Amino acid sequence: MTVMMKLKGLATAAGFAATLMVGGATIASAEDVTLTMAVPDWPPTRIMKKFFDEQYKPKSGNTVKLDVDFIPWPDFYTRVNASLTSGEQKYNFIVSDSQWLGAFVEGGYFRKINDLLEADPDFLATFKTIHPNPLNAYSTYPHKSENYYGFPQFPDVLVNYVRKDIVCHDEEQKNFQAKYGKKLPCTGEELDAMTWDDFKNVGEFFRRKKGDMLAGAPAEDDFYGIAYQAGKGYDFSSMQINGFIWQMGGDTWDETKAPTGQAEGVVNSPEAIAALDKYLSLIEYMPPVAKTGTMDIFVSDQLFREGKVAMNIDWIGLGEASLDPKSSKVSDKLVFGLMPGTMGADGKIIRWSNIGGQPFVLTTWTTDSQIKEAVEFVKWWLSNDIQHQFAQAGGQSAVKAVYEDPKYVSYRPWNRAWAPSLDWQKDVWHVPQFFELLTQQQDQFDLAITGKQDAKTTLDSIAKFQQDKLKEVGLIE
Amino acid sequence: MNTAVRDLPAPAMFEFDASNWKLAILAGLAISILAALALPASLSFWVIGAMAAMIAAVFAINAYRRKYYGGLLVAPAIAVLFVMNIFPLLWSLGLSFFAYQSNQQTIRFIGLNNYIKVLTNDIAAPANWDALINTGMFVVSTVAAQMIAGFLLAMLFAKQFPLRKYLLILVLTPMMLSVVASGVFFTYYYDPTFGILSYAIGEVTGEQFILMDNKLGAVTGIVFADAWMWSPFVMLLVLAGLVSVPKYLYEAAAIDRVSKWRQFWTITFPYIRGLLMLALLFRTIEAFKLYDLVYILIRGGQDTKTIAYLIAEIANEQNKTSEGAALSYVILFMVIVLTNLYLYLANRRNQGA
Repeated sequence: MTVMMKLKGLATAAGFAATLMVGGATIASAEDVTLTMAVPDWPPTRIMKKFFDEQYKPKSGNTVKLDVDFIPWPDFYTRVNASLTSGEQKYNFIVSDSQWLGAFVEGGYFRKINDLLEADPDFLATFKTIHPNPLNAYSTYPHKSENYYGFPQFPDVLVNYVRKDIVCHDEEQKNFQAKYGKKLPCTGEELDAMTWDDFKNVGEFFRRKKGDMLAGAPAEDDFYGIAYQAGKGYDFSSMQINGFIWQMGGDTWDETKAPTGQAEGVVNSPEAIAALDKYLSLIEYMPPVAKTGTMDIFVSDQLFREGKVAMNIDWIGLGEASLDPKSSKVSDKLVFGLMPGTMGADGKIIRWSNIGGQPFVLTTWTTDSQIKEAVEFVKWWLSNDIQHQFAQAGGQSAVKAVYEDPKYVSYRPWNRAWAPSLDWQKDVWHVPQFFELLTQQQDQFDLAITGKQDAKTTLDSIAKFQQDKLKEVGLIE
Repeated sequence: MNTAVRDLPAPAMFEFDASNWKLAILAGLAISILAALALPASLSFWVIGAMAAMIAAVFAINAYRRKYYGGLLVAPAIAVLFVMNIFPLLWSLGLSFFAYQSNQQTIRFIGLNNYIKVLTNDIAAPANWDALINTGMFVVSTVAAQMIAGFLLAMLFAKQFPLRKYLLILVLTPMMLSVVASGVFFTYYYDPTFGILSYAIGEVTGEQFILMDNKLGAVTGIVFADAWMWSPFVMLLVLAGLVSVPKYLYEAAAIDRVSKWRQFWTITFPYIRGLLMLALLFRTIEAFKLYDLVYILIRGGQDTKTIAYLIAEIANEQNKTSEGAALSYVILFMVIVLTNLYLYLANRRNQGA
């Protein structure tokens, strides 16, 4: 190696080291601002990046670059968590699941945005047009307080994905009517009126073996009526079970009542136990993979797209693939409804459900010049025009003026269920201990789903764990 | 060793000399302690690091001047080992005596409390013991499956037959695949709706077959997938032993009309025993770290959580860094004891033979 080569090598190495140290938060001059963002890799974030590159013109005249790290979903939490806790201070924006807020706010990573909202009346006005349920879930910590942190990136709710060709078939309609004395729900409105009992009937009715008649032709494969998430990973059963518990009059541990609110007696109340029993009782009508505890949101979605299931409850976020003939055998046979509910004493359906979707948040090390551009970017993102375009491209909007626009329901077939669902959204805990609570709960639910223990034992164990854990950290007195 | 070249006298204790390692250690320690007390942690960390580097440099100069070239030659390797391995190991050992969570800014010394919690807490301890028992079960079953399958494969491939070379490459492929790829492959293989396994069994019995709906099935699935991936590794080692057996021994045995069975035990086995033991050791150590397949195939469901799974959950997902470190050290201790016990037994048998 010659001296020159050595020098070159050194220079390259030094340049590389400098890049590493400065990371994404580079500001080369007053005019160039780069905002670095960690996002999960899926259509809603790809669309955001595309819109930014094609349309965004900063008012300040600066050159603003959005540098986006697309991280696969299964890795997303681990990668973001590692980046934040290691102190590398790489990202200015982070798409965060709503329940991560507490852990990362307490860790000093997520930036409170109240000062930014107060300093900019426009921004505050835009912010306040977001539906209060997503706003509380995505932005407040402590939950439902006046401390704001995030903005909706992709708001999401659970809806009912339904095979029109199956449920609207005359023969099936006739047989269902004869068996249950009720009409088999077929149109959007009929689906909206479904309770979990109706859902169960559909499950029981459509359990067909290979070769049995199904919608006028012999079934090519075993067929199932219903599916919803019942997986052990991440939050892939809690998100469904919480809806059952809230609908049937039970409750989860309520962080807004801390420190006097208890876990024991609430989490394992008779109502909650009945709700979990109801949830478990439907599993026998679902594809057999449910019994292994691995039927998460992706698995049930795939079963549905492969045409093995008549109805599937899943997030809207996974919906685009089911409409695409390349990834879905049922793309032209779909109708969507609200997630089924529970009939209340007054004859109205109670529809509580766990909110999905993600906000994006600012990090504490973002510099003033970056913050100025970031605020402009968020205002642009939440503006009616861009939100409409986002929804047209397959996103969702929690901005009132947008989703109340009559055009909105025409963008995607599931949008008819969007606005009515928003009023019924609640969220799980946002406390820093959420991951411990979640893993223990998912483990316990898994034992119940796979038939190892009953609903009472499950909820008793969850309640005891939460009571002990939350007492230890002072959230329960 | 030639001692005549090492005649350069050692510098006196307080002589300021680039090769005076005693003084370097003393000064390094003093400055490190002062830095740790006076400076904020983010600065003192680098000061102490610089001191460690300084002491290492003085040792190197000392070795160079006094011609300890052997030591100098291994120094780069030791330096890398220290930076990448020993230092993080010691750092995490230190952490295990503190109450520390990676997503919180506070740290507090709590002595042995993490270890006490890991071993006795009424919620944590039973989970740890369960995971440990599961790990033991996986170690025994996966290693046994791999040893048997790998050994039989090696016996097969030791013979010459048509297409042997190509089949050998084919058999080795699973080992080269990423665990995630083969894990995903096996989830489909085992899937009751899409999977060929349930399909085939369903065709025969006429009933729906779900492999992973009980613990036995889940464990079998994981062990099979693991054996599929790692039997070729055992096979390679054993094959190396088999081809090293001199042909004339077999010829001599054939002349003496020794049965195949005895040929195997008296000629073949002694040659491959060492390599079998090595394969056993490698696979046992690896099996203690089983995490990936358990995660991909069943997410630790059906009571299959291993200790590595539990540590990942505690330390990475829940950010309970110091508790995870304590649990890791308990396991490290067990693995070291088991490995040494094994080496001791293996050596004793070798001497006895």
